[in-house]
Amino acid sequence: MYSLSECNPAVAAVCLLSAAGIAMFCMNPVILALSLAGAVCFFLVRNGAGGGKSHLFFCLLFAVLALVNPLVSHNGVTVLFVLNHRPVTLEALLYGMAAAAAVVSALYWFRSFSQLMTGDRLLYLFGRLSPRLALVLSMAFRFVPLFSRQAKKIRQAQRALGRLREGNIAETFRGNVRVFSILLTWALENGIVTADSMAARGYGVGRRTQFSVFRFRRGDAVLLALTLLFFGGACVSLACGALDMVYYPALVFPECTPLALAGYLCYGLLAFLPSLAQGWEVLRWSCLRSRI
Amino acid sequence: MELLTVENLSFSYPQAGGRALENVTCSVRRGEFVALCGATGSGKSTLLRLLKRELAPLGERSGRILIGGTPVEELPASASARTVGFVMQQPEQQLVTDRVWHELAFGLENLGLPQAVIARRVAETASYFGIEDWYEREVSGLSGGQKQLLALASVMVMQPEILLLDEPTSQLDPIAASDFIATLRRLNQDFSLTVLLSEHRLEEVIPLCDRMLVLEKGRLLESDAPRRVIPRLGDRPELLCAMPAAARLGAALGAQTCPLTVREGREWLGQWLGQLCRETSCEQPPQACGKEQSSPQGAGPAGPPALCFRDVWFRYERSLPDVLRGLSLTVAQGELFCILGGNGSGKTTALGVAAGLLRAYSGSIRVFGKRIREVRPGDGCVAALPQDVQTVFLRNTVREELEDAGVRPESLPFDLGGLYDRHPYDLSGGEQQLLGLAKVLAASPRLLLLDEPTKGLDADTKRGFIRILRELQASGMTVVVVTHDVDFAAQCADRCALFFRGAAVSVGAPADFFSENRFYTTAANRMTRGYFDRVVTVKDAIARCRGCRREGAPHEGN
Repeated sequence: MYSLSECNPAVAAVCLLSAAGIAMFCMNPVILALSLAGAVCFFLVRNGAGGGKSHLFFCLLFAVLALVNPLVSHNGVTVLFVLNHRPVTLEALLYGMAAAAAVVSALYWFRSFSQLMTGDRLLYLFGRLSPRLALVLSMAFRFVPLFSRQAKKIRQAQRALGRLREGNIAETFRGNVRVFSILLTWALENGIVTADSMAARGYGVGRRTQFSVFRFRRGDAVLLALTLLFFGGACVSLACGALDMVYYPALVFPECTPLALAGYLCYGLLAFLPSLAQGWEVLRWSCLRSRI
Repeated sequence: MELLTVENLSFSYPQAGGRALENVTCSVRRGEFVALCGATGSGKSTLLRLLKRELAPLGERSGRILIGGTPVEELPASASARTVGFVMQQPEQQLVTDRVWHELAFGLENLGLPQAVIARRVAETASYFGIEDWYEREVSGLSGGQKQLLALASVMVMQPEILLLDEPTSQLDPIAASDFIATLRRLNQDFSLTVLLSEHRLEEVIPLCDRMLVLEKGRLLESDAPRRVIPRLGDRPELLCAMPAAARLGAALGAQTCPLTVREGREWLGQWLGQLCRETSCEQPPQACGKEQSSPQGAGPAGPPALCFRDVWFRYERSLPDVLRGLSLTVAQGELFCILGGNGSGKTTALGVAAGLLRAYSGSIRVFGKRIREVRPGDGCVAALPQDVQTVFLRNTVREELEDAGVRPESLPFDLGGLYDRHPYDLSGGEQQLLGLAKVLAASPRLLLLDEPTKGLDADTKRGFIRILRELQASGMTVVVVTHDVDFAAQCADRCALFFRGAAVSVGAPADFFSENRFYTTAANRMTRGYFDRVVTVKDAIARCRGCRREGAPHEGN
């Protein structure tokens, strides 16, 4: 088993997307709590104490999402208090919190996903579909930063010439439009060189193959098998209705059947699998390193 | 054995007046290293592109091109892509993908090779070119030299039989350029790879090449070993000025066998002076010839300061290291000042600080006595031309560009006539540089800052550029030039400064500056060191040699 940043990109993607996917289609509070805990834990494991600002943002988002629902939705039978002649209910509050947990945990999962899936990894994933698509993606990954750098350079050059006036909005806007238009010309001009370079190296000669530096190793197989096992277990439990939760008009919690417990266990393991894999690798590495 | 044969090749572009190539006949043997020389517009690129079928320009062509005995048009597509490798000028634009490994694999993917073969070839190529350390890096983070090396490696991975290179080092700094040329030499020696290279920077290429082809206005002028060709160029200063310093000196003084490198130049000069001494029965050894007793000129600035840095510190971001570390430097009014130094020594950053684009966190910068913060852009005080001159163009024709900037063409010290209806991007490097200069001059700055203005210019264009700078200087302008080009600095500067680790470590007039440096100096100075004092340009060296000959007895000379 490898950590997600070391393993095959396909396995990492399956693992993260299945953990996020279940949380997005289920309003069970336990599942959502597990998802949120697992996602935050994985983010912390990867980034340490850094990223304080994004944590603050996610906390605020959670609070806003959780509080908006009881203020606009007045369903439910348990009235907590009356605000502006409108009842605020416990059911609506809990539903809001569940929805907020679903959204915030999904955001945490995708944060980690975008950190893990750098350009070359995404390329490996989508390149399987078509080598041509892979090439287009690879070029796009290169061109976007290239353009923004060139735009910055053009703006600086104009400032150095004393040509770019940053007075009123209209002039700034006009200046930016002009920079953008020359940027397009520049892109086309450079596109010709790139196209020449591609043609010179035989692009379009025949059927392309795709080369990649990623392999599928035994550790990847282990991680994939575990992911699929836990995902399957959680799905069965979910499909049988063992985890269904009713919020309106009155709260009905799912019963504690063995199937429901199995579902919680499976999802809990799935949600913490990324963190566990990371921890396992740290442990294994410190063990290996002690032998060096 | 002839690998490449060109027979009676003529070519003209559609809607162009004359012919780009006229009746060119030449051939290249397997394993030969051939340099293609000629001024901008002499048809070098056209010839190279016609040899590579995928890049052949559209137009009217007559004559035959054979590669390994087969006409280029009849080669199968994959064989044509594989057999002929082509490396272009622009390091950035000729790379296709975002990662180094993918760039290396790109050509092999196109040929449809299986994964295992690609893996092996990419691995062995990466280790041969020494790019294992940055194998997984993103292409955008590489230096210019690394990008160009990657472009070469990703062509070589396809195992071509002939390698064509169109001015591959013109966008590189001198050290990266030497490395690149050394790599080409290694490929040529290790694999007997056939190399056909067009280049402006001939100082290092000429000694390596077996043969040089000289093109002029589309006609093949010469095709022979450099030692035989160069003496025949004696009456063509516009071609000769691109040759190595030793060769120019030899050609000017009528050497029997033309020296090509600094070592050969020194040996030859020693013999030449020795013979002169014998002829004039002079007892002094040739080493004593032409010693000059002039004291070094004052290293201090001559007039009131135009630009003054005092203990300036700068870094790009709080967490990054300092780029300028206590820079102190004064440029006098009316001076032409050159800033030299290696990559990352802070030259361009210093220019950015002086232009008010970057803000130093400590120290004072004054422009004509005014603090830099009080200098407003566009008030006729200071203007800068960036290194990538394309970034100053915003319009679709030269005419609009000039009108937009408010340039009166008659006020310029050079002529842009004939270019008015062209797109700025379609101009040659030298013409782009002039148009950029015209736009900067529109603000009529008293202090002009130029960043690498001679990058990618051929030797003749460079001479013209120096003339223009001199005229601007004569009109009272102060010019500061950041450059890697020591020959350029030796020819035009009033004073030079060497930057090292964010500070100016030595400042002086070129003659003192370069003769006190041992490594960072011109080829002419390295060649004449010990024979003559304070000679930094080939022109000086020729004048001193002729002076010796005229005076008869060299020791009485100066």
